Amino acid sequence: METATHQSDEDILIQGLKSGSEADFQKAVRLYTPGMMAVASYYLDKASAEETVQDCWVTVIDAIQNFEGRSGLKTWLHRIVANRAKNHLRKHKREVSADFSEALDPELASRFRPNGRWATPPSLRFHEDAESLMENGALSDCLDQHLARLPETQRSALMLYEAHQHKSDDVCNLLDVSASNLRVLLHRARQKIFLMVETFQETGEC
Amino acid sequence: MLMCRDLARIASDYIDDELGTAQKLSVKMHLMMCRYCRSFIGNLRASTALMQAHSSQKLDEEFLRRIEERVADSLNARNTGNRNPE
Repeated sequence: METATHQSDEDILIQGLKSGSEADFQKAVRLYTPGMMAVASYYLDKASAEETVQDCWVTVIDAIQNFEGRSGLKTWLHRIVANRAKNHLRKHKREVSADFSEALDPELASRFRPNGRWATPPSLRFHEDAESLMENGALSDCLDQHLARLPETQRSALMLYEAHQHKSDDVCNLLDVSASNLRVLLHRARQKIFLMVETFQETGEC
Repeated sequence: MLMCRDLARIASDYIDDELGTAQKLSVKMHLMMCRYCRSFIGNLRASTALMQAHSSQKLDEEFLRRIEERVADSLNARNTGNRNPE
């Protein structure tokens, strides 16, 4: 994903947003909506998450005037979405259910002997670097499919931590989870990605 | 003694440097002796890098356009309002 790589780029964008530039809003919408959806999807179903993110952008038109830059623009936007999504949850009296019971994915857990050693060890041919692997379009499509199948809670944690590069504390605040629960969500999601890549490399199938 | 299954449970914490000194040391000792776990950690690390290299959550163009249109309408309404204060 394209990101604002320099602080100065972000400053210029913020100035544009404050001045009400439509082009800068378009740029910001494309840059920050994926992360905002990752936050909203943690709490809400897809339709409500899309509605919440859309409403947030309209709110931002006025709220940006009060943005003082104490946090980055991305973090600020993600917090607005998180607060709105939590309010939506409270109104609808739903609760987020996430499985924090066991750090080990059941499929991976079944690959150990009772004595705790590997019965089916990981394959040993994962040598290419990530950039080279991503050049394989079929693998990239497969990754998309598997990401879509992850529980929202795991996917949101993974997206915010890996793709949007938030720090652990930030993700905990955005998703309202403890540090140890975040570790479980991240680890469960990573194991699923690991198992997917391993199967893909062994069989060529997704 | 740390077993392969224990290591698999805390592998992400190891990768993200979230383990305490003693636990980190036991993982390192185990990795020196176990090529399967070295492979597991290496592959899990690569999966993590893969996620970072992969474009994040893809959104449909239609949804982005809807947001852009709504934002443009709100901006126009605000600007019109500014020019013609009641």
